[in-house]
Amino acid sequence: MKEKQEFLEDALMVAAERMKRGRLSRRGFNAGLAALMGSAVMGAARRAHADTGRVVVVNWGGDAVPGFQKAYAGFGEASGLELLVDGSGPSEGAVKTQVNSGAVRWDVCDGEMYSAYRLGRDELLEALDYDVIDKSLIDFGDVHDHGVANYTYSYVIAFDTEAFGDRRPTSWKDFWDVETFPGKRTLYRWMSANLECALLADGVTPEELYPLDVDRALAKIEELLPHILTHWATGAESQQLLRDGEVAMGQVWNTRAALIKEDTGGRVDWTFDGGIISPSVWMVPKGNPAGAKAAMDFIAYALRPEVQVKLMEAYAMGPVSAAANDLLSPELALANPTSPENFSKQVLLNNKWHADHYGETLERYLALIGA
Amino acid sequence: MASPTSETLKIWVFLILPLPVLVVLGYVVPTAGVLGWSFTLPEPGVQNYAAVLEAQRLQTVIWRTLRICLLTTVISVGLAYLIAYRWRFATPRGRQLIELVVLVSFWLSMLIRAFAWLVLLRGDGVINQTLLWLGLIEAPLPLVRNEFGAVLGMVHFMVPFAVLPMLNSFREVDDRVLNAARSLGATPGQVLRDIFFPLTLPGMAAASGIVFIFSLGSFVTPALLGGGRAVMLAEYIYLQMFQLSNWGMGATLAIVLMAMVVVTALIFGRLFGFKNIVGGLK
Repeated sequence: MKEKQEFLEDALMVAAERMKRGRLSRRGFNAGLAALMGSAVMGAARRAHADTGRVVVVNWGGDAVPGFQKAYAGFGEASGLELLVDGSGPSEGAVKTQVNSGAVRWDVCDGEMYSAYRLGRDELLEALDYDVIDKSLIDFGDVHDHGVANYTYSYVIAFDTEAFGDRRPTSWKDFWDVETFPGKRTLYRWMSANLECALLADGVTPEELYPLDVDRALAKIEELLPHILTHWATGAESQQLLRDGEVAMGQVWNTRAALIKEDTGGRVDWTFDGGIISPSVWMVPKGNPAGAKAAMDFIAYALRPEVQVKLMEAYAMGPVSAAANDLLSPELALANPTSPENFSKQVLLNNKWHADHYGETLERYLALIGA
Repeated sequence: MASPTSETLKIWVFLILPLPVLVVLGYVVPTAGVLGWSFTLPEPGVQNYAAVLEAQRLQTVIWRTLRICLLTTVISVGLAYLIAYRWRFATPRGRQLIELVVLVSFWLSMLIRAFAWLVLLRGDGVINQTLLWLGLIEAPLPLVRNEFGAVLGMVHFMVPFAVLPMLNSFREVDDRVLNAARSLGATPGQVLRDIFFPLTLPGMAAASGIVFIFSLGSFVTPALLGGGRAVMLAEYIYLQMFQLSNWGMGATLAIVLMAMVVVTALIFGRLFGFKNIVGGLK
């Protein structure tokens, strides 16, 4: 790409120089310009269909970009392909836009599991090749035609230890209990696990959680609304709210919770108790630039247990494979959502339910919180 | 002047041609596409528009958008009037200072301004902490992450847009007219009400039109300072497109937003003349 651009600039400069000296007519210059532009367009079109020699993996940005770069650094050597990590966020709408407009820039997306079900249904994703990807490696999370679990993270309770004396919240009931645990709260803006948390707070058992009783969950959210300072939309925002003491308790991702604890020297602590484990997904947009084969190779590489361990080391994203869990150091095992002692305290998010109901429910949720 | 030869005419046509082509390719075609989506996604029909008329949550967003824009317009234009008035009767040095302050604020990135307000207004922000320290309040005031914060940020963003078109009409007010009124015994209040105000009304109308129309499409400022509680149309469209991947509804709301802009422009044009509004920008 860069090379091509330099070549174009160089050719233009040579032509302009010639024209100045009167050796090239104006018309000749224009014709040359048109030809050059044509070749640039054709170049772009060609790029879209051929092997690019690189795999573009997209995630949600921030520290997750260097996290992926570090964890998957060995992919180049293993495959001969260059790895590029893009942090612009593979939301459903963004993937849909790229595929429908025929301008796919991403090879592998680190997406939301329910998005993978929905996009797969709309035929916007490549089918995964389970001859290349070893599905027996997946012990936590979903495996389906268009998506395979890539790592796990949890929605956990993080809290300001200075706000509650010796008391520590250990459940969503505590999260909703503003008498015992006074102070502002924050929840995730795009809803994902919020209904589950609300229902658990309302006394529903984990076994009876699905199908979610949306009306009941929204009523429970409404109850807490006066105490919710704001709904955070990005991980960085959730960190800021707790770090600066704007809220006393927050529902945040475990990866961020660990960072906040570190940043505040332990003033903000967190717990896996009551956490909602959410598996994330590898999915491949239809017509990805590097070709389906390269994308499958990357996914197969990333799911190797020893590579999953590297991701946990780099960014505290939990393995989806018990074999990978066995390789973790005791310290990392403590921070891993799928370690047996942590897993038993938590509830696994049912992404199939969200695949069918996310859109309409999110609209109701947003209307409730003031959108 | 000699009449243009066919050769030069050809060159002119050639030079002008890219503009309509650009407008058609870059604006008309995509807009037509969006209009198409609003009638065809997720299935052909007018159900998206029916939903706009019926669904409570959509109307809430539309009314909130109108309310915030109206508030923003009234406050920004009011503040801008005071600034322009001060500017009109200031010394040359004073004028330069006012222009500088307005322009610096105009040139600052809107993201930076929004974040600056967030830092000032939030619970542990400078304003709340000062008020708490002075003992004027018992608990932090909710100044941000709500409609108040959104309007405040938008007013700050819009004041320069209101001041700039006003300066022109304020400059054109003739000192001699004001002096004549005073020499005939008019009180300062009467001069302001009966002479100055009517003469500056076109500038004010232009400013109101520009501010209201700009406000309709606000995205970043209400998104950051409203904290999800002051979601306006632009943010809701983004939500429909990228969070819900509901392109049909996103497109429909985009068309609704565009219609609101066009209607506002027509009303202001009819009432005050397009020439005055555009002229105000000179």
